[in-house]
Amino acid sequence: MKKVIPPAVGLVLALCFPLVTTDPFILSLLIEAGVWAIAVMGFVAILRTGEFSLGQAAFMAIGGYASALVTINLGIPFWFGLVFAGIMAALVALALGVVVLRLGGIYFAIVTLVFGEIVRIVALNWQGLTRGATGLTPSAPSTIHIGSITIDFIASKVPFYYLIVLLVLVAAVVFWRVDRSRLGRTFRSIASNETLAEHMGIHLMKYKVIIFVIAGFFTGIAGAFFCHFTLFMGPTTFDVWDSIMILIMGIVGGTSSVVLGPIIGALVLSAGGAYLTSALMVGMKPLVYGIIVIVVVVLLPGGLVDLGRYISRAPRISSLQGVKRHKKRGN
Amino acid sequence: MPILELRKLTKRFGNLIALREFDLDINQGELIGVIGPNGSGKTTLFNLISGYYRRFEGEIVYKGKRISGLRPDQIARQGIARVFQSYMLYEDTSVLENTTRCCYLRCETNSWQSFFNTSRYRKEEVNQRAEAEELLQPVGLAELRDSLAGKLPYGYCRLLGVAMALATNPTLLLLDEPMAGISHDEKGLVINLIKKLRDQGITVMLVEHDVKAVVDICPRLVVLDFGRKIADGRPEEVTTDGKVIEAYLGVEQG
Repeated sequence: MKKVIPPAVGLVLALCFPLVTTDPFILSLLIEAGVWAIAVMGFVAILRTGEFSLGQAAFMAIGGYASALVTINLGIPFWFGLVFAGIMAALVALALGVVVLRLGGIYFAIVTLVFGEIVRIVALNWQGLTRGATGLTPSAPSTIHIGSITIDFIASKVPFYYLIVLLVLVAAVVFWRVDRSRLGRTFRSIASNETLAEHMGIHLMKYKVIIFVIAGFFTGIAGAFFCHFTLFMGPTTFDVWDSIMILIMGIVGGTSSVVLGPIIGALVLSAGGAYLTSALMVGMKPLVYGIIVIVVVVLLPGGLVDLGRYISRAPRISSLQGVKRHKKRGN
Repeated sequence: MPILELRKLTKRFGNLIALREFDLDINQGELIGVIGPNGSGKTTLFNLISGYYRRFEGEIVYKGKRISGLRPDQIARQGIARVFQSYMLYEDTSVLENTTRCCYLRCETNSWQSFFNTSRYRKEEVNQRAEAEELLQPVGLAELRDSLAGKLPYGYCRLLGVAMALATNPTLLLLDEPMAGISHDEKGLVINLIKKLRDQGITVMLVEHDVKAVVDICPRLVVLDFGRKIADGRPEEVTTDGKVIEAYLGVEQG
């Protein structure tokens, strides 16, 4: 019971935030942070099996384009577009994962990195579908009327804010629940010692693909949400640097935690970083981000999530715990 | 019918032939030791049986079913469990958790039930934890159940490996050098453990360097030399076999 209190408090705070301020700039920062939080949760979930996916932004792009295309060309409502985006991203994750997760390790990381680039290049050149660099202009969800209540997505950012809070909540519950269940322990077994896990009856590929697909699903939805929020979807909306930022947000937040770490990482680097740099000069952004990363990695290798432990003097986590593993090299 | 049949097993690594046309039949409930000088192919043999190597020549038939080329997890499900020689543990978690995870092989609830935390799943979790605790008793690790596996002394690691293998409820146990790196007093413990396993009806195949210990406990010995089987029989016969002596000590010169 005690463990539910901090997240519940966090949720209440998040829900009440628009009562404090409806400043569109601040809300936009938080909304963007929410989008990245979901993507980072996916990244960390994959990391739990010992694999680095450096291509998560590609799934955001796939989700974004899927939803944009289906809502623009087929007139399908935003809500179905969102689900469709998740499914499309999951299918691509399935196809890619089945082929590439076999490689594992550094090879998998490189291929996912390259995959991100491939998605960008395809989006750029398949003019007929994506309108290339011009991009697509998806629209915001249409206004909803429930009785006397009107939810207008165009007039204010608040409905988007609540929607992303809901999406982050759903993703958080799923990823947290997976991590706590036998599935999660199986993933950790794989990350800890692949050879042993295999000899104890664990089908490595099945589990790696499962989490890769789940992560792809939510990441696709996050991407779709984002493009309907910013009303634009282009080849560079989600690129390689975004994939790397996802990795960095994961590390800064703390990879030992599947939900809180990603949320903290996204808030600090996305919302926090943007807020700081808006107050300073434009070119300071990389500098600010770099300083944050260095400070965290040196002082708190377990990520900011460790700050709570630091304060309570619990034993701290070493960097990338659970990721060092025994890779099989049989033939 | 023998429980395990190995037919003409051959494993090459480029030009190196680690195992040559190895034939062996093992009967249910046997306790068989595989010995041989360094590099004779003992570990390679285990790697083939447990599925660590999947490309080789020859056939492996277990309980009448062809298992050559299957993945290690498929072979584990057939009832073959392996206890490794070096540190093969989930080092970042407790002794009890290590053992519990090996019970998952036999779980009946599926992933959906585990995700939704159904009452049946929770009951199974509790049962498996209890089973795991029981498994730690015969190896003497019950008190260390909350210790971090990565911090265990080597001897205890080996015992934990045995507990974990037994958690999968195997019918064939592959013991990789059980006597390696353990003290003289602990050797007695291990020998008793192996005898108890045999009494439970589990077929045990062990690979070992310490010929003396093996001679005392195994009613049947197989000797490997340069990947080839050179002897197969009772310890008294095998240890006096000229070929075996030659393999270990070399030929007398002059």
